[in-house]
Amino acid sequence: MIEHLLVPILSGTIVAATPLIYAAIGELVAERSGVVNLGVEGIMLIGTVTAFAVAFAGYPAFVAGLAAAGAGALASLVFAVLALSLATNQYAAGLALTILGSGLSAFIGHNFGSASLKTIAKIHVPILSDLPVIGPVLFAHDAMTYLALAITAAVWWFLYRTKAGLVVRIVGEAPQSAHAIGYPVIFIRYLTTMFGGSMAGLGGAYLALAYTPLWVENMTAGRGWIALALVVFAAWRPGRVLLGAWLFGGVTVLQLFAQGIGIKVPSELLSSLPYIATIIVLVAISRNPQTLRLNAPVSLGQSFRPQG
Amino acid sequence: MIRHLSRRDLIRYCGAAGACLAAGYTCSEAKADEILKVGIALVSPVAEVGWTKQHSLGVAAIKSAMGDRVEVNIIDNVFQPQDAERVFRGFAASGHKLIFGTSFSHGAPIARVAPQFPNVAFDCCAGSKVLGNLGAFEAKYYEGAFLGGIAAGKMSKGGKLGFIGGFPIPDIVGPANAILLGAQSVRPESTCNIIFMNSWSDPGKEKEAALALIAQGCDVICAMTDSPAAVQAAEQSGVWSTGYASDMSKFAPTKQLTAFTVDWSSIYVKDALDVVAGNWKPQSRWQGLKDGVVKMAPYAAGIPGDVRAILAKAEEDIKSGALQPYAGEIKDQGGAIRIAKGAVMADADVRSANWLVAGMLGQMKG
Repeated sequence: MIEHLLVPILSGTIVAATPLIYAAIGELVAERSGVVNLGVEGIMLIGTVTAFAVAFAGYPAFVAGLAAAGAGALASLVFAVLALSLATNQYAAGLALTILGSGLSAFIGHNFGSASLKTIAKIHVPILSDLPVIGPVLFAHDAMTYLALAITAAVWWFLYRTKAGLVVRIVGEAPQSAHAIGYPVIFIRYLTTMFGGSMAGLGGAYLALAYTPLWVENMTAGRGWIALALVVFAAWRPGRVLLGAWLFGGVTVLQLFAQGIGIKVPSELLSSLPYIATIIVLVAISRNPQTLRLNAPVSLGQSFRPQG
Repeated sequence: MIRHLSRRDLIRYCGAAGACLAAGYTCSEAKADEILKVGIALVSPVAEVGWTKQHSLGVAAIKSAMGDRVEVNIIDNVFQPQDAERVFRGFAASGHKLIFGTSFSHGAPIARVAPQFPNVAFDCCAGSKVLGNLGAFEAKYYEGAFLGGIAAGKMSKGGKLGFIGGFPIPDIVGPANAILLGAQSVRPESTCNIIFMNSWSDPGKEKEAALALIAQGCDVICAMTDSPAAVQAAEQSGVWSTGYASDMSKFAPTKQLTAFTVDWSSIYVKDALDVVAGNWKPQSRWQGLKDGVVKMAPYAAGIPGDVRAILAKAEEDIKSGALQPYAGEIKDQGGAIRIAKGAVMADADVRSANWLVAGMLGQMKG
């Protein structure tokens, strides 16, 4: 009985967390360079509808995923021109992008409402996938789920183990200094912002290609905002973003199981548990002021104008 | 060339401008007498399935019934009450003689605007107030839900149903009860696990809820959500489902048993014809299968003939009144008798349902 429920709960956790991981890890890189892009929700929607449209037209899933990443990068380019080149307020520009993404995706997706896609195939690893519990939980997902984990690892390695990653962090900490020693701050921020956009696009694509293969207006249902919150509560650290996403996904799935079993707790409270649990846990592990000061990018959200 | 405006000048200009406006207004009034202008506020853009799609059927019905004697103007994405009030006032001020609200959230704003335009007919779906020129209409979802429940009870292997709803409100709790009562009418030991999303639209979470119910052994997923995600997830998992609002069989070509859909066409058309004829009266309507406001989507091909016969008989009996979905004896989750044997639940109680019937596994309130 335990195994009977444990497997769908854990497996559902990993699936529910995947779109959050994509969106949050992209935003983390952008924020590390000092750029807050509140347009994640809108970019995800653009990614979802792009992936749906491309897959619906008959192209294979990886083309649809690439197209969504490209569309996400393009959407974030709009934000970058406004917020980086024209130095408008990053928060306002990001919010505008979310509104644009929501409207634009609804417009493009208008004719897809009655369509259903085939989900992308799950990978079957010989031996590993057949293990009890661990097999179906860890080794029976689609390629996009594993890609999200690989990207998280790559981002960690990039930020903390490469010189380019160090430069990105310097740009976020002290853009004037980075500029003074010759790094192209605006250009680097363009790159990180577009990386963030393409990841949000992929997160959106995951919804259309793997999670719920249909198109419903605003189907991201706030996942972009959750991703933004995860980055902050995880104190801008990739590992904690992963943890936060799993926690949020896990409690979401768990509370649905609890409701179905008929646990004597009001459904409203159960539905709010994922938010409460994620905030409490991430704040608790990131509460050390030293950690926060070390990790929060100093120039976060500030426009950069080269001086001198 | 800037002239100094004295207060008297200003008043004179304003008066002139007002006169021009008034002239223009009476002109448009005169035109409106020839062609009926109907204004409809929709909560979302028209999609392929869901609540707004069903209202768009009413729009199409008015157009086909009245042809070029009617002009229908739609404003969509009107959900928030403050937006709705502005939209309703705008419709009324621009010569629309019949104005529809299509949501519970339109109820309060339309009731504020209606008294200011006594010559305009207002009608609000899921509205709660009836005024001198404001009507309200709602569907008896529970009649369709009961039939869906019969199909679910007959087709389920273990008699374990799963229900997914938006919020624990009477409009959703009532039909949930009706589904289980329908199932219990053909299989008394039926139970139903119930999950509330606490959101109107989150396809991802709806899918997770469906999978959670399936993992807990439910083999019919009864969805009362706006997106087809749960019905689609059931199809992918190979279990039966029932849909709501629209026929969702495109997303579950083999496994959607049926869907209880709503069709407001008859109400829209009657209102429009009555307004033109000058005998429109505000009223509260609550109609179901008999009036065609609730309609069953085509039953799945996998339902055998004897079950179809039971369903057809039950549908006829509900229409004729011989079968009452909420007929006693009905017990609640705690085992207390809510409706005595031989009695039928009062309409007011149906519309304010805030308890779950015996056999429900789920929580309504803390």
